[in-house]
Amino acid sequence: MRALPGKASRQPPGPEPVSRDAAAADQRRRILAATAELIAERGYQETTMEEIVRRAKVGYATFYKHYPDKEAAFLALLDAATDRTVGRVEDAYQREEGPWADRVGAALGALFEDVAAHPAAARAALVEAVAAGPEAAAKHEAALKQLAPLLRPGRELNPRQAELPESLEETLAGGIVWVLGQRLIAGEADKLRGLLPETLEFVLRPYIGEDEAAREAGEVADAISA
Amino acid sequence: MSAEELGPLPAGRHGYSREQVAHHQRERLIAGLAEAVAEKGYAAVTLTDIVKQAKVSRRVFYANFESKEQCFLAAFEVVVGHLHELVAEAVEGVDDWPQQAIAATRATLGFLASEPDLARLCLVESRGAGPAVAARFNEAVGEMVPLLRQGRAQRPEGERLPDSTEDSTVGSLVSLLHRKVAAGEAEQLEDLLPDCAELVLLPYLGPAEAARLAREAA
Repeated sequence: MRALPGKASRQPPGPEPVSRDAAAADQRRRILAATAELIAERGYQETTMEEIVRRAKVGYATFYKHYPDKEAAFLALLDAATDRTVGRVEDAYQREEGPWADRVGAALGALFEDVAAHPAAARAALVEAVAAGPEAAAKHEAALKQLAPLLRPGRELNPRQAELPESLEETLAGGIVWVLGQRLIAGEADKLRGLLPETLEFVLRPYIGEDEAAREAGEVADAISA
Repeated sequence: MSAEELGPLPAGRHGYSREQVAHHQRERLIAGLAEAVAEKGYAAVTLTDIVKQAKVSRRVFYANFESKEQCFLAAFEVVVGHLHELVAEAVEGVDDWPQQAIAATRATLGFLASEPDLARLCLVESRGAGPAVAARFNEAVGEMVPLLRQGRAQRPEGERLPDSTEDSTVGSLVSLLHRKVAAGEAEQLEDLLPDCAELVLLPYLGPAEAARLAREAA
């Protein structure tokens, strides 16, 4: 209902006035969510600014107030997604007080849950980042590197630790990301839970050997089906 | 492979059939694209760059390809096809699977190290060259899975390996190679032979044997 001229006070009370900061944060959130969805649907290159502003229900001016271009929005999205995911993974690892293999299991569980809960953002960070120019690719690499310190203590458990390749942790992280990415591309984010024990086994095997790795994976599989 | 090496077509009446000329032009365009991509990266390459490198007209480009992406896809296909041939040659006459896996890995790394521009095209540029190329990249990586899967027959334990073992392994390999090539160190790819071999053999032979064969391969 439009207020009559000069009768604005009669207007029914609208929603609580929002602060300018909160409104700006909401705009950014909408822009990044729209960017993630569109990129998940059609890939980074094929996504246009026009589609982003339409999906985010903001004007071009609002978009430009926050980000100079599509790439900047994508990079902000990557930062936000990576911070959230890595934060959850590290938390889960720290909170688990059991042996190292259990901590890795908890960390991997948190990663898989986070990806399943935010498939569009995860696809942007895990798949599309590699395709979206050098800066995005560098952020992707940096995120992978953040997983390495969680795996590295496993070396202590391997009698042949001196022979383990220097690149092992990043390579394993690359394998995890690849498997997750393939599932996201196939639209199977809902099936990730089932993949967790297998991936855990893959990651633990080089450190604690195949029997122990299979046993740990079995425990996680039992916990999932329980 | 470069447009220069292919040489210009002799002018005038050269006695080549129309098919031969068309084939030659297609090859020149693919080589031209590969050179242009090596110089400035896929995103920055224009059609003008490609036809200039290939020394053919735009009309010839469009007679062969609909777009830059299609031309890239053809280049990617040429390199993957060549790799398939090299791997097939490398494993010929090798009887046992672990040695086949090592020979295939060695052939792949050797080729990519000797052709750093093509290594970059395949492993780095392909990721950002549009959805069709990205899909083909994933498919090409997936083609390695059956080769690895044969390793399951090596031991009784092989049969109980999780279904995604090969996916995780090829993903790790791609990540390892991608990192090296993206860092501009494609020429040193052969240094990764023991790491790659160990990664490939580990699920099928167990850690001790995988490490022994990987060291032996180095």
